[in-house]
Amino acid sequence: MNGFDIHRSAAVARKEVMHIMRDPFTLVLVMGLPVLLVVFFGFAIDFDVKNLKLAVYDRDNSRVSRQLVSVFDSSGYFIPSAVSSPSRAITGLDSDKFSAALLIEPGFGRDVGRGALARAQFVADGTDNSKAMAVLGYLPGISEAALRKFGGVTRSDPVPLKARYMYNAELNSRWFVIPGLAVIIIGLLSILMTALTVAREWENGSMELLLSTPLKPAEIIAGKIAPYVVLILGGVLFVNLVARFGFGVPFRGGIPLFLGGTLLFIVSALSQGIVISVVTRQQQLAMQLSMISGLLPSLLLSGFIFPIESMPVFFRYFTMILSPRWFMEIARGITIRGAGAADLAVPLLALAALSAALLAAAFKKFKRDLEP
Amino acid sequence: MKRTLKAFIRKEFAQALRDPRMKLILFVMPMIQMAVFGLALSSEIRNIKLAAVYSPGDVAAAGLTRRFISSGWFVPADPGRARDPSGLIVSGKADAVLVFPVEGFARAAARGRGMVQLLVDATSVTRARSVEAYARNIFAAHAAADAGLEASSPPFGFDVRIIYNPEMESPMFMVPGVMGMIVCLVTIILTSMSLTRERETGTFETIVSAPLENHEILLGKTIPYVVLGLANAALVIAAGFLLFGVPVKGQLWQLFVASLAFVITTVAIGTLISTISKNQQQAMMGGFIFLFPAVLMSGIMYPVENMPVLLKPAVYLNPLYYFTSLLRNIMLKGGDPAAFISNLSALFLMAVSAASLAYARFRQTLD
Repeated sequence: MNGFDIHRSAAVARKEVMHIMRDPFTLVLVMGLPVLLVVFFGFAIDFDVKNLKLAVYDRDNSRVSRQLVSVFDSSGYFIPSAVSSPSRAITGLDSDKFSAALLIEPGFGRDVGRGALARAQFVADGTDNSKAMAVLGYLPGISEAALRKFGGVTRSDPVPLKARYMYNAELNSRWFVIPGLAVIIIGLLSILMTALTVAREWENGSMELLLSTPLKPAEIIAGKIAPYVVLILGGVLFVNLVARFGFGVPFRGGIPLFLGGTLLFIVSALSQGIVISVVTRQQQLAMQLSMISGLLPSLLLSGFIFPIESMPVFFRYFTMILSPRWFMEIARGITIRGAGAADLAVPLLALAALSAALLAAAFKKFKRDLEP
Repeated sequence: MKRTLKAFIRKEFAQALRDPRMKLILFVMPMIQMAVFGLALSSEIRNIKLAAVYSPGDVAAAGLTRRFISSGWFVPADPGRARDPSGLIVSGKADAVLVFPVEGFARAAARGRGMVQLLVDATSVTRARSVEAYARNIFAAHAAADAGLEASSPPFGFDVRIIYNPEMESPMFMVPGVMGMIVCLVTIILTSMSLTRERETGTFETIVSAPLENHEILLGKTIPYVVLGLANAALVIAAGFLLFGVPVKGQLWQLFVASLAFVITTVAIGTLISTISKNQQQAMMGGFIFLFPAVLMSGIMYPVENMPVLLKPAVYLNPLYYFTSLLRNIMLKGGDPAAFISNLSALFLMAVSAASLAYARFRQTLD
């Protein structure tokens, strides 16, 4: 028995390349799909809560109350429309037609004029708690603007607070969304591609054939993975070009570091795919497992949209076994913050450890599978 | 029902459930996912690492910083060796840094000059926005407390009432969303490969040669998955109710009808993918191409109502969006008839069109 032979591995890789070439569908998909999805969702995802439909029941109908409604209107956050009774407003909230309601009682204008404590009722739909939170956040600004319009004096803070946003001064949400999307799509495609190609070999029985040759498991795995690594790296390059030149997402860090992180991430995802395929040996089950272990966890627990810091302690630790969580941090850190290897030491090491563990698991599973 | 059809459906059930691992995936994984996502997810920004830079002995600044920490949104950052404010952000030691005037906060306030700067790491846009909003509120509350009560009650204000989810609890919103995702995932992956698989392994010919009509084959191939999908929906809804205390304010039959319409839609879409694909790999890709946008545009990841006009139709084509709206409306708002009917008819329309497309494609593949 001799060690790992690169030539034999290359032969497996050649065979895999032929498979891919024969089915151009795969090729187009891996190169095109990430770009397509990034472009679509780059435009689609916007976290701003605005254009909220506001039901207005103004029984006062004075100059002042109309001014209040116009302040809501001109804020840009609300689209007011009048309703004929408070119960209409509530039914509108029930049927998802409105997101909030403003109820003004008679005498409101008079109270404001007298300087008495004037109150308008504001009803918010709490179903979506984060939306409700944003809506409530708009109210202080609105009441201040309204007071100014009513001609009242507003109190200003003796020492103002001034916020400075670092790295993304204009708060462009695309800078946040696009690198994250790329991570998720690339990771998922990697898992799916390998899980299925290897599972197919088992299902067709051609794996037995490969194993009866002098090929070693390591050579088979390396040969099967290599073409996909290249393919997916091509996809990554494409996505990054689109992000940089199509969407103006900055790339502030070092390219070699980014490439290194990407490679680690791809290897971890491909190894996960191999483990799945060896465990299932059947395409349908392989897809089920890939989707379950890939899609939802990477979308929901990687910090892509839902912040990890807000999770309960147990889940903050739990996310550490997910490679997209670490690569998300690395990709955003390098592209947006221009972070270096020292800043990203923890995520890089964690990702390396995860990749190594998954690769080892893939080898071990594969080997044990050979023994009768 | 014809006996052959019954037997066919029985065979399909047996085939789907034969593999014990499949049973795990169908019935145990959804519960685990519900528990994990329901407990873990919240879009609320918390535990923001805050550092404060002020001259030693600035009691007022220290007091305000304490107010930040005790608000519950912020946790003190461990500054390590970094001393300059922006260095704290660059190294990731802090998410936000309060920089007080050098002369002292109280002194600046008395002179009415100077300002407090808040440096925010804006890598995450949503977090940056929340951090600023929290900080402004804390600032205003602090100033009001300093100035005494009269400043805190201006001549005009809002009486705010939050309905449906008065505590603004995250699970109330997340759990119905996650339910929809899980049911969608399970039904699509079950069905998108089923016909392709039969064709690839050659067993399709056997089915075709059985004394069954075309539509019977299709029914036999889909009814079991509709039943399994419904069982799955019942399971996750029960879990949401028992585990998270998400109420069901509407009628149970509404939940049943909504789930039925949704499951039929996704099974039809899965079958359509299955009839279009040449091999299982393509079927899987088809499943992915449907699932990924469907999950992202379901309404829990970001506010889909604000999507650009050109892309908005994609939301209206997303069955998961309607199902999530239905679940949320029935569970939290009591199932308002108008919302129920409009969302349900959208699902129904989609189910019918997907099913007829699948049937047409299916006949084409047979000939």
